[in-house]
Amino acid sequence: MHIGSGFLSPTVWGAAAAVSGAALAAALATAGRRLDDRKVPLMGVMGAFVFAAQMVNFPILPGTSGHLGGGFLLGVLLGAPLGIIVMASILVVQSLVFQDGGVEALGANILVMGIIPCLLGTILRVLWQKRQRPSGWLDLAAVVGGVAAVLAGATVVILLLWRSGALPAKIGLWEAMAVMDSVHLAIGVVEGAVSALVVRFVMATRREAVLGTLPAAAGACAKEASA
Amino acid sequence: MTAHDRQTLLVGIAMAIIIGGLVSYFASDRPDGLEKTQEDLGAAEPPDAGLEAPPILFNEYSLKWLGEGFWGNAAAGVGGSLLVLGILLGLGHLLNRRRAPAEAGGRSTSPPA
Repeated sequence: MHIGSGFLSPTVWGAAAAVSGAALAAALATAGRRLDDRKVPLMGVMGAFVFAAQMVNFPILPGTSGHLGGGFLLGVLLGAPLGIIVMASILVVQSLVFQDGGVEALGANILVMGIIPCLLGTILRVLWQKRQRPSGWLDLAAVVGGVAAVLAGATVVILLLWRSGALPAKIGLWEAMAVMDSVHLAIGVVEGAVSALVVRFVMATRREAVLGTLPAAAGACAKEASA
Repeated sequence: MTAHDRQTLLVGIAMAIIIGGLVSYFASDRPDGLEKTQEDLGAAEPPDAGLEAPPILFNEYSLKWLGEGFWGNAAAGVGGSLLVLGILLGLGHLLNRRRAPAEAGGRSTSPPA
């Protein structure tokens, strides 16, 4: 869903960069309090996973592919401040090293693939902190949340392109949103399912680092960590 | 770094190699959701030149010296994933140290985020 170079007008990319810059500054300012040294490796590994997973385009509809966004997943597992930092790092590398996403569109891409899905993921994170143990309801919430995160990002992309005058005049805003969101509904279902699976896996293996609490049945890892 | 952390990092490196280096080679080359939408709306051409980073090491997701085949893609997938991993470990280390120098290296004193 990376917005390429040349699509956004200076006003739009400037405004998006200002919003993302402010959010990133706030995330960096509060991140220290949320970190402890169990979380740093998790943060790095989740970033590497999302970068790699984003390269795997899967065929979804005739003539169309989709790939994982990952922002929602990072919001659940790391919380909004750290998730936004991880997603911004990935998008900077993709844009500057791999020419994926325009350099001037970086702020916009951080907004739609980082900040918006990370904030939605943080809602599910709060539910996990309340319930503490896996449940079918949390899995369902992860799928629904993943769909919502992709659709929210996709809708904002269309708004940004529309404000930039990058959509043909004869096409209405609602029509453009309908085309974009119908494609991304299908992609979002995959995003939601993958997010639910990865959240389950990481909660089963690294819950202490994710939530700061020990799993109910403390395994060898937990004993070693507290030693 | 505990054995637990080392295990986490090894899983990360393994994922970078398997997903970034291997599975990504079989990725679909159809346009993604946004590209397809822009094509369908007749808006695939950017109105301006914009600013795209120069392809210094990588030409999109292939290492320049190796070209667009399996190995070029594998180098991009593994290299990019490990670059992100390295940046985040460095950044995490800096942020962690800035929090409270006396407490750096201490565990589980912060409330859950």
